[in-house]
Amino acid sequence: MKHIAPLQAAGEAVVKVPTRRTLAKQQTRAKVLAAARRLFSEEGYEGATIRDIAAAAGMSTGAVFANFTDKSDLFREIMLTDMVALGEAMREAAERGKGVDDALLKIFSAGYAFYKSQLPLARAAFSVGWTPEEGPQLRNSEPSQQLIELMVDQLNAGVERGELGQEAEVKLRGQMLFEAYLSNFKQAIFEGWSLEALQARSRDQIRVLLAGARRG
Amino acid sequence: MVSGWGKMTETEISADSALGGIDPAQPPCVEPSVRQSQKEATRNRVIIAARDLFDVQGFQGTTIREIAKQAGVSVGSVFTTFASKGEILNQVMQERLDRLYAELDRVMPHLRGSTADRLCTMFSIHFAFEAQRTRLFLAHIAAAYDWTQPSSAKPMGKNTRLQEIIAECLAKGVAEGDVDPESDLQEIIDLLMGAYAWVYRLAASDGADAATMTAVMDRHIALIADGFHRR
Repeated sequence: MKHIAPLQAAGEAVVKVPTRRTLAKQQTRAKVLAAARRLFSEEGYEGATIRDIAAAAGMSTGAVFANFTDKSDLFREIMLTDMVALGEAMREAAERGKGVDDALLKIFSAGYAFYKSQLPLARAAFSVGWTPEEGPQLRNSEPSQQLIELMVDQLNAGVERGELGQEAEVKLRGQMLFEAYLSNFKQAIFEGWSLEALQARSRDQIRVLLAGARRG
Repeated sequence: MVSGWGKMTETEISADSALGGIDPAQPPCVEPSVRQSQKEATRNRVIIAARDLFDVQGFQGTTIREIAKQAGVSVGSVFTTFASKGEILNQVMQERLDRLYAELDRVMPHLRGSTADRLCTMFSIHFAFEAQRTRLFLAHIAAAYDWTQPSSAKPMGKNTRLQEIIAECLAKGVAEGDVDPESDLQEIIDLLMGAYAWVYRLAASDGADAATMTAVMDRHIALIADGFHRR
């Protein structure tokens, strides 16, 4: 739940002295989000109903709908909040990287570590991500685009340092690195791969995807 | 290179599986197997109705009752043939993919050129085929992550046939010398599958057609091929 903090902080910055009413509303939202996160993880996106979420949060369905327009709104909020936190974790990890391969590997690893304890939620996210209505909204969201941008940033830094050639096609490579990163979740979710196994796989994938871009 | 593929199979599907081998002009003769063939006919009608409805309304947006209505059968007889809506989706996709893979089995041995070229052609056949039924295919992929699916389901990714076809293609490349024998083939297969799924999203969010998806996939394949080419 700590990931909700940044958004709340942003909201509070506008309302200088939160009224009791505002505070109550924030508490309600936080309670609904916590219950929703749990139910999406236990029942999946399709299996979790607003009624169950309301019951788990100890409130009426009406109170849930006063805060969120529908189930997809609730799920999106959880996803976007997580993606912002994930982006920060990945950026920090990348800064510790030595060279472009290592920086990218650290980004991948940070992602797998982030979802390690909440794989069912990741699974629900993939399911929702493929629906024609919700998929594009999640993918085109700012936090999601930022994750691809972060990969591109590493490639550009590699070009600047002379590790990669000028013709490195950083946009396409960045996107392909992101898809490789996502594709490994299948092993994590369905085959229970360890972080180490995911890292070993990622290292090889990064090597293959950068092969044509190396200098010399 | 593959124009003409786009038209493949849709008409065939409605022609032969709609009738299920029964000629509607002939009254069914009363044989011991009449019950069997009626059941088969119901099954085919349900599959075609479901295929069309899933493609227009999406999987979640379609009810069993609507499928029964469109197929002209009772809800009860849908349930005597299929355990759930998820199973209907699986059967719809199974039939489509069987056709696609049969076609690929026929074509693949005749492909010439580099491994990357052969992969490009193989995927372009996929895009030409699936672009006809975008929402249906997306439902198929989403089902891979759906909790409510039966464990017997074979959603996208669990169907190993495509992976086998890629593996054969790469093995041929190793034999012919343009794929580095040191490469981890499974890893390349996974990268290609990842790229394939990603490119398919273009259809979902941008309404990309088969030609656009093929062009994007070609670039992805070229980039991956840089990583497995023998140097």
